[in-house]
Amino acid sequence: MKKLWLPGSIVGLIILVAILAPLLGLMDPVRQDIANRLAAPMDGSPLGRDEFGRDVFSRLIWGARTSLGVAFASALIAGVIGTAFGLIGGWFRGWGEIFTVRSMDIILCFPPVLLALLVVTLMGPGAGTLILVLSVLYLPGFARVTYAEVLSARSLDYVEAVRALGAPTWRILFRTVLPNVAGPVLVQLSLAVASAVVLESGLSFLGLGVVPPSPSWGLMIRGARATMEQAPMLLLWPCAALTLTILAMNLLCDGLRDAVDPRTPATRRRIRVVDRLLPGLLPAAAPQTEAVLDVRNLTVEIATPRGAIRPVQGVSLQVFAGETLAVVGESGSGKSVTATTVMGLMPPIAQAVEGQAWLGGRDLLRLTEPELRALRGGPMAMVFQDPMSSLNPVHTVGAQVVEAIQAHQKISYSDAWKQAEQLFKRVGIADPVKRLRVFPHEMSGGMRQRVMIAMAIANRPKLLICDEPTTALDVTVQAQILDLLNALKRETGMGMIFITHSLGVVSEIADRVAVMYAGQVVEQGSVAEVFGNPLHPYTRALLEAVPEGDEPPVGIPGIVPQPHAFPVGCRFAPRCRFATPACEAAPLPLEEIRAGREVRCIRWHELTPTEAAA
Amino acid sequence: MNAPLIEAVGLSKTFPGKGLFRKGKPVQAVKHIDASVARGEAVGVVGESGSGKSTLGRLMLGLMPVTEGTVRFDGKLMNEASRSEWRQLRKRMQIVFQDPYGSLDPRRRVGDQIADGMKIHRLLPAEQRRQRVAELLAKVGLDPSHAQRYPHEFSGGQRQRIGIARALSTGAEFLVADEPVSALDVSIQAQVIQLLSELRRDLGLAMLFISHDLPVVANLCDRVIVMYLGRVMEEGPAKHIFANPVHPYTRALLSATPMLDPEKRAKRILLQGDPPSPSNPPSGCVFRTRCAHARDACAEAVPELRPFGDGTARVACIRAEEIT
Repeated sequence: MKKLWLPGSIVGLIILVAILAPLLGLMDPVRQDIANRLAAPMDGSPLGRDEFGRDVFSRLIWGARTSLGVAFASALIAGVIGTAFGLIGGWFRGWGEIFTVRSMDIILCFPPVLLALLVVTLMGPGAGTLILVLSVLYLPGFARVTYAEVLSARSLDYVEAVRALGAPTWRILFRTVLPNVAGPVLVQLSLAVASAVVLESGLSFLGLGVVPPSPSWGLMIRGARATMEQAPMLLLWPCAALTLTILAMNLLCDGLRDAVDPRTPATRRRIRVVDRLLPGLLPAAAPQTEAVLDVRNLTVEIATPRGAIRPVQGVSLQVFAGETLAVVGESGSGKSVTATTVMGLMPPIAQAVEGQAWLGGRDLLRLTEPELRALRGGPMAMVFQDPMSSLNPVHTVGAQVVEAIQAHQKISYSDAWKQAEQLFKRVGIADPVKRLRVFPHEMSGGMRQRVMIAMAIANRPKLLICDEPTTALDVTVQAQILDLLNALKRETGMGMIFITHSLGVVSEIADRVAVMYAGQVVEQGSVAEVFGNPLHPYTRALLEAVPEGDEPPVGIPGIVPQPHAFPVGCRFAPRCRFATPACEAAPLPLEEIRAGREVRCIRWHELTPTEAAA
Repeated sequence: MNAPLIEAVGLSKTFPGKGLFRKGKPVQAVKHIDASVARGEAVGVVGESGSGKSTLGRLMLGLMPVTEGTVRFDGKLMNEASRSEWRQLRKRMQIVFQDPYGSLDPRRRVGDQIADGMKIHRLLPAEQRRQRVAELLAKVGLDPSHAQRYPHEFSGGQRQRIGIARALSTGAEFLVADEPVSALDVSIQAQVIQLLSELRRDLGLAMLFISHDLPVVANLCDRVIVMYLGRVMEEGPAKHIFANPVHPYTRALLSATPMLDPEKRAKRILLQGDPPSPSNPPSGCVFRTRCAHARDACAEAVPELRPFGDGTARVACIRAEEIT
């Protein structure tokens, strides 16, 4: 609402002044007074007089009446008819589309000034003609915008849901589709009004619009142009009025679009200087470790409208060569944030405020962007969930693999191309010579993911981070990719972090697993131990929720807490059936019960007596 | 099993091909499928993307015109239903979508969206409608006061519950659930599965449960239809099929499903390549291009869906006896 206030009041004021012009006791805008031709500001004429001695201030305000009247009338007429056309064309397709949208395309073929000339010649100049010309000119814009929006809206699930409920067509169009396409139409409206003001001035300037002596901003500019050398200020006033009106209109419509959308967040994000600087102020010594990646006590902070949140807190992970560590958790558990922070791929509003991430003696969290870039795709690589959006659609996959190779190796294009062929063969793409010349959209999802993997292993990384690489794939293709990743890990001895929400996948691919909940690791250990004998109630509940076997799956009541509302004590306590008041009192430490086996629960002794005895 | 509430016979759907300069090849989304669901029964439809399982669901709801075949709802032939009869039918069959974010109108309060169906069919006066929305919200495990909120204020699982409440608002008897839990986290997924099976038990809903997740289907459904490239590969009682899959595709699908318990994991049958395009399906058995048991005979004729073994399951494979 705040954004609406300023532009809204300016536009409101301009309109109000224009409407009230006859009541303001201004001088007659058309009364000539040759004696005071081009006079400087004087009593009763604060902005001076024009080339016929008419009062500039009065003409400016009366001109607003004409200019805005014409602009609003034409934009509104075009908006209403054009939106209706777009709705009809987009919803009914077929003949409706031909009559409404295609006929608009014909109008688009005429140069606007030519069209205006034609109409003015036929009908004679004047405000009415202007409105007609302008609304015809803006009609295709509205029809087109609405049409495109309706086309994408009609296939949405919620539109189909209303259809499934048996709603009549008019109801779907007006209650469901129209409100959801209103945003772009409103923007189009603001653009149309603004450009109509300009075009009205332009046409009047050319003598095709408002007929002198009636005042209009365009005519004022026209008149002032002739006397520019004697009275340059005369040009300034109508131009300033034009600029102010258009700027205010555009701001208002942007604000309106946001205001009618209930999803828009209320305030903007702010980045504090301290967030940018803090990590660099904490020096730390490189650890003696064999781990490929050693993440220690990582805490990530993100500045949000509701204050700083910590979606990842105190996370420590280690990955050794030739090993797969699965990071498993539900959405909002912080597993992807951890990985993207390690890769240095988080947006600047997210900052690692604590901890280190060691990769071969270098702390990834304190490297500069160029240093990180040298590592990414080289010693550490990443495979993402959606291969379609991770590949560039306008380059062949071969060119993209070559680019990945050449980013880290100084070799010729043809050598790199040969390497790419080898890589394609290695990731199981049949006929690599031909497949390298193919564009991403010509490949299936599974093939694209193979290309991504080929790019990731191109420079023999020590660490491969896979962020849900099989989630978007069919199970039979997922099985192929999991097999491939396993084979690659065995062959190359790289360390792999595999982020997933699927416990079944973890059990298939990982050696060790870290279970994350609400930004913390709650349990860690070998897959056999964690899944065979879960110590944390969350791990246990998660395993019971997996539909496998004859038992119906048991859901966990409640939802994962939002980062700004993490409980003080155990973060799982509100959903835990074993929770006691002690659980919620204070933050719990991650307890290492023996080498490589950790749990964050104060009651694990009682809950799993066998493990406690061991 | 009692008489089916909804019954599809010989259902086919062909989408016209799209092309920039010349007409593309038509896409056979669904080909000669028979399917039926009785009151209180849950039938699972499983298959990978492009198998036509979602199209089957929409055809059975009459949300898109069928190319060939018939659908009967409660004895009434849907293809011939008049406009006013359709209005009556719409109340009785509903759909729950996969994407909890796309299935609700972001600009309207959830209470209004749940009330839409009742408003359209003029079921209750406005006062009682509000009452009924509150009841529905409570039934799907949400707070009645949530009716005043907008969709973005809810989590994925909660939105899915709202979608279910909307589907139940007109007293539907037949529900198509199109991958209703695929987009949800495991713990939330289990909640929604619980809710759906409770509703089915309490309201005697007939349910067509479309999913690519075999364990979920095994758990929730009485019968299962396994689809591949628009055709049925195998069908029968869910428990039976998952315990004794016969068709090579069903077996491959089951073996590819990641399982928690290493002992439950069947020996992995790795299928080669990706499913062929539905616009250019292989001749004969559509699965033969990826099948380890394919012979020349498989290319000749489309295998008939025939009873196998003791007759509880039906399978479309000419080599079923040899390979088991």
